[in-house]
Amino acid sequence: MVFASLVFPENEGGCFRIFREPDLPANPPGEAQQGERALSLQILLNGIFLGAIYVNIAVGFSLAWGVMDVINVAHGTMIVVGAFVTFACFKAFGLDPFLSLPISMAILFIIGYGAQKYLLNLVVKVGIFLSLILTFGLDLVIINALLMIFTGDYRSLTPSYSGSSFQIGSLVIPYVRLAILVICILLTALLQLFLSKTRTGNAIRATSQNRQAAQIVGVDVAKVYSITLGISAALAGACGSLISTIQSFTPFEGGFFIMKAFIICVLGGLGNVWGAIFGGLLLGVVETTGASIFGTGFQEAISAIIMILVLIFLPKGIVGSKYK
Amino acid sequence: MALLEGKDVTRAFGALKAVDAVDFQVREGEILGLIGPNGAGKTTLVNLVTGTYPLTEGEISFKGTPITGLKPAKVSRLGIARTFQIVQPFPGMSLRENVVVGALFGKNGAGRSTKEAFREADRWIDFVHLQDYRNAGVDQINISFRKRMDLAKALAMNPEVLMLDEVMAGLNTKDIEEMIALVRRINEELKISLLVIEHVMKAVMTLCHRVTVLHHGGKIADGSPQEVVKDPRVIEAYLGERYAKARKGSET
Amino acid sequence: MGGQKKILLIFGSIAVLGLIVLPFFLEGYWIRVITSIFMYAIITAALNIIAGFAGYAAFGNIVFFGIGAYTTAMLMLRVGLYWWVGAIVGGVLASIYAILLGIPILRLRGHYFAIATLGINRATEQIALDWGSFTGGGKGITLPLPQMEINTFYVMIYFIMFGLLAFTVLVNYGIARSRLGYALRAIRENEGAAEASGIFAPRCKIVAWAISAFITGITGGVFAYWFSFIEPATVFDIMIAVKAFVMMMLGGAGTVLGPVLGAFLIELISETVWGKFLTVHMLILGIIMVAIVILMPRGIMEFFRKKFSLAAIWNNIKNQAV
Repeated sequence: MVFASLVFPENEGGCFRIFREPDLPANPPGEAQQGERALSLQILLNGIFLGAIYVNIAVGFSLAWGVMDVINVAHGTMIVVGAFVTFACFKAFGLDPFLSLPISMAILFIIGYGAQKYLLNLVVKVGIFLSLILTFGLDLVIINALLMIFTGDYRSLTPSYSGSSFQIGSLVIPYVRLAILVICILLTALLQLFLSKTRTGNAIRATSQNRQAAQIVGVDVAKVYSITLGISAALAGACGSLISTIQSFTPFEGGFFIMKAFIICVLGGLGNVWGAIFGGLLLGVVETTGASIFGTGFQEAISAIIMILVLIFLPKGIVGSKYK
Repeated sequence: MALLEGKDVTRAFGALKAVDAVDFQVREGEILGLIGPNGAGKTTLVNLVTGTYPLTEGEISFKGTPITGLKPAKVSRLGIARTFQIVQPFPGMSLRENVVVGALFGKNGAGRSTKEAFREADRWIDFVHLQDYRNAGVDQINISFRKRMDLAKALAMNPEVLMLDEVMAGLNTKDIEEMIALVRRINEELKISLLVIEHVMKAVMTLCHRVTVLHHGGKIADGSPQEVVKDPRVIEAYLGERYAKARKGSET
Repeated sequence: MGGQKKILLIFGSIAVLGLIVLPFFLEGYWIRVITSIFMYAIITAALNIIAGFAGYAAFGNIVFFGIGAYTTAMLMLRVGLYWWVGAIVGGVLASIYAILLGIPILRLRGHYFAIATLGINRATEQIALDWGSFTGGGKGITLPLPQMEINTFYVMIYFIMFGLLAFTVLVNYGIARSRLGYALRAIRENEGAAEASGIFAPRCKIVAWAISAFITGITGGVFAYWFSFIEPATVFDIMIAVKAFVMMMLGGAGTVLGPVLGAFLIELISETVWGKFLTVHMLILGIIMVAIVILMPRGIMEFFRKKFSLAAIWNNIKNQAV
């Protein structure tokens, strides 16, 4: 078994840590000795692995935004909740992180549904910034709850297979990353199917296009909204469970994820699953490529600047105008 | 002489022409009616004059100077004001404050202090007979009053040309009569030239000196109200081909 | 309304006088607490200019605070200027930043503008973090210490912040009554109709943001001098911006005194809660935020104008629910 760390010897666990630990030394340019083409393919692959997670974050986040005009700032922290649920299951019952996915998704669905039904539905009509501030408040409450239960220590999961990988040619493919990619694809596909084929899914799409028209036809808008945020939160929970397998985390990790979510939604356009896919993958590849060229410094700044530039020049996102 | 003039005014989206090579003129002191079936391009034409939409071709000039391509705020300050088909108020502000915005930023606004602007606003609120609702919030007044508020705001901008977009829509008979009288006063007392988009034929016939008719973006008739109403192309546009044929048949 | 205004004036004058003599009766800790409240009030009142009057939710407005702080720090350290010169230059630089960025960014509507400002704050914070050679990076900058007795220093800062607050309130008051104020409010209520009325929206918005940035920048400079140490995480902290937003909304966005009132209320509550319930501090703050949004979306000032009753609140909630 070849460990992923051979490709990027300086960074434990691969390039995915770069965005979080700016103190890590940058990738020395000498990596090119490994064979440039193989390296760039590996970078691309790593970018896709990273992008899969980003897509997952964005799909959930943009669902709430696109359907209800709710910017759920607590989405990032909901991801963290998912990670902690998985952590708790692992520590308490030895449950494999991937198997705890349904549990974290269920718990988060309840949280999201409840938050929308009892809190957000009360202010959705008043103004977009009010729901933003409400979710900020929610964010604080959730973070504090996590702090009280789990303390602020860094937590991580180490199932037996973490770090192991297989090789195709000179490409290193960590098992965990592959599993994450597969699951993200599955979740996204399921969501698309749900939205287009089921009754509830269609109700959601109808409501997002025209709330009043949907009401006239008999759609229970309040319920649709609650279900939407429930699904959005469930996706966040799944994301958290997956992320728990590749990085350590504290209750405060959410803010970082939210920033990524913003950037991807801007890149890919809103409320649009294909846009989230495109934006997520693009960001993943851009970040891994940028990290291998420029090193870890300025990476965050570059991501943020890219977002601002896209906002300025392509206000509808790279993919185009809002399609729901 | 033409106060506001458009030559060959066109707004196209690819092959679709919302406004197609229209020539029009608002002469000094007159009320020009702009009529046509729905979708004819009337509001689009007004939006082209104000600079809200860019022209694809043609030129618009005001008092001889071209104003094509100027931003809406600039056009307003030159002395061209408009009302909106669907009233566009400032919801969080009172009626008085709504009108004061016009007084502060219209043609003569630059030199006014806020105090003077409020006096000017009051003058126009009285003119449209809304003095009882001066301090009411916008959400508290009904549509007919809101239309008059919109009118007062436009007047507070001290325009030389005022463009009214279906200002009678949604009003009952009595309100229409009052509005007609108001528009006449604006033209005769205040010496303001008007371009009036209207569907209410009574208003068109009694108020307008001349009428321009649009259909599918192009101009199909131009003349006095009496002439235009009898023009077969206008009848066809409004009432359809079969009616026009039938009418022609009965006339011969 | 005359009676209400009189009460406000009397109450206000008493409060102001009280605040002026307070430092001579209080111990150091409380002087710093109240100075901190002043600072939050300034940031909130400055935010009010762009977010309250103009309705542009500049969530990342704290970036100007950071720019002011860093400018002051570096001018003091490297060029040896006085702190107040540094602060003013910091304010000017923040203004320029706002103008340059405002030209493209203020064209964005609603959510996108808010996110763009968050992105700007984050990008600037990251630049400060990563450009270690210039800004000291994550280690921050230590400013030259003030050359005076520490308690006198704190009292001086108290009055400087108080003065800045008074200045900011006056600026808010001046704007509210001026052409710019009406223009901004018209832009907030209906930007299209505002332009049709002859308002040059881009110009007005940029001016508003520049003023907001200037004040926020100077405040950052004073903060740097006060704490003698700054780092990116503190001066670009998004939590300060969010808190300011909540304060502004609680007090009443777009009013003159509302933001200040909101700041005082929330900071006082915050201080008390922090003192007694350290572990649940964030929880309570979060609950307060949620409650404010649901119960009083238009802020406290609205209560002073309309009738305040539980029935009215309940009606409001029912009306605004989906």
